[in-house]
Amino acid sequence: MSYDDVEIEDMEWSEELQAFTYPCPCGDLFQITKEELRIGEEIARCPSCSLYITVIYNPDDFRDSAEERPPSEQLQPIAVS
Amino acid sequence: MEAEESQTKEGKEDRVGEEEEEIRLWSWGAGSEGQLATGTLEDQSAPQALRSISLVHPISQMACGGAHAIALTSNGRVFTWGRGARGQLGHGDLANHLKPKIVDFLESFVICFISAGWNHTGFVTDTGRLFMCGDGSFGQLGNGDNQSRSLPQEVLFFLSKHVVQVTCGMRHSLALVTTEACDSSIYGYGSARHGQIGTQLSERRRFINIPEVILGFEDSRIVNLCANGDHSAALSANGKLYTWGRGFSGCSDYHQPQVFPSSLRFSQIALGWNHALLVSDGQVYMLGRMLTLVQQTSGRQNSPDISAFHEALAASAPLLQRITSLDDESVIGIAAGSEHSAMVTDKGKIMTWGWGEHGQLGLGNTDDQSTPQTLEIGFKGTGSYGLLRVYCGSGFTFVAKHG
Repeated sequence: MSYDDVEIEDMEWSEELQAFTYPCPCGDLFQITKEELRIGEEIARCPSCSLYITVIYNPDDFRDSAEERPPSEQLQPIAVS
Repeated sequence: MEAEESQTKEGKEDRVGEEEEEIRLWSWGAGSEGQLATGTLEDQSAPQALRSISLVHPISQMACGGAHAIALTSNGRVFTWGRGARGQLGHGDLANHLKPKIVDFLESFVICFISAGWNHTGFVTDTGRLFMCGDGSFGQLGNGDNQSRSLPQEVLFFLSKHVVQVTCGMRHSLALVTTEACDSSIYGYGSARHGQIGTQLSERRRFINIPEVILGFEDSRIVNLCANGDHSAALSANGKLYTWGRGFSGCSDYHQPQVFPSSLRFSQIALGWNHALLVSDGQVYMLGRMLTLVQQTSGRQNSPDISAFHEALAASAPLLQRITSLDDESVIGIAAGSEHSAMVTDKGKIMTWGWGEHGQLGLGNTDDQSTPQTLEIGFKGTGSYGLLRVYCGSGFTFVAKHG
């Protein structure tokens, strides 16, 4: 189960990690790369523990303009638990 | 230098003699940034007696953040260790420190209150001045910009005011100011995303980097502030609880302090990322929920009752759940990590519960616990149990003997 739903605007870009990050309750950071966002991944994982978050974003913001996807693969926002 | 880590105790560990130095500090849980002060980066699932750490003067307060920790000693000196990547240790660099190191910059001040947030830190002096360091990306250092700082910097907004407390959340800070007439006022700064700075900003502003006063405490004199995650809370002198920021248990966010409807008088508060612990008349109560109760224990013991309870809880206003029913013991200290909790009684009993994946419950394993479990730290100070206090960082825990 996703620990939380976090909007991409609330994540921080880390030059060092080359990833968007958000604090994980274990003390480490949830991470997701631009490449993952580009292919429609919505799960940001923590490298130190079992937790993950669902990232709320618009895939169009990250997709290469040449790549078009069928609407069925578009991100479905998940209600906050 | 007043504090040196004595290395002379090596090899003496098993000899319990009368001359053995009294242990005053224990740690366990996530250790990947050196936050346990064990000198290693290992997680520890059982309490580690920190034998080789002598701060010369007794610890009077501790604060634990995302992955760093601070100890304040009775003579007003501060020591920091753990993650330093954003400058939160105040040593002028971005390095992690695996053992307590005195904050040289503050040596000419007498510090009397400290707080540690996710990646930032606050220090209050005995003359009411506030210094902060660490991550300033969201304006949580309060000096009008979004820069991070690796040396403590005075928050100039409070120059003509008297700060008595500071508390640091994930991305925000709160300060308690008193006047000569003994009135209190509360200021907030940093991220405003969930209302945690107690001020409704226009749609486009996501933070403020200069403190703004928080209104809505009626005529109450506030004596205690608490922030963690995106939550904020205050206790008044007569035991009223105010909360604002992210809602508990799926309730909506509050951009202004809300008085919590209860006939109980609360004396202590600790906040996690999704829960609050409260003490009233020596008993512990909880608002919200920890990770373990709804997400981790599904399908395990007691889960039907617990999930039904929490579903009911999420559907209405957050309910206050009584945690303890201790007959002849009183809880004197509480602490909340992001997803775990700790408490200590007047008889020195230490109990932990919540999320345990990094060993932060100190029970010798990485299991979660839905109810408080008693923990043995091996404290031998007969008669001084009342001096033990618990402190939780995001995924780690400390016990300190005060005095």
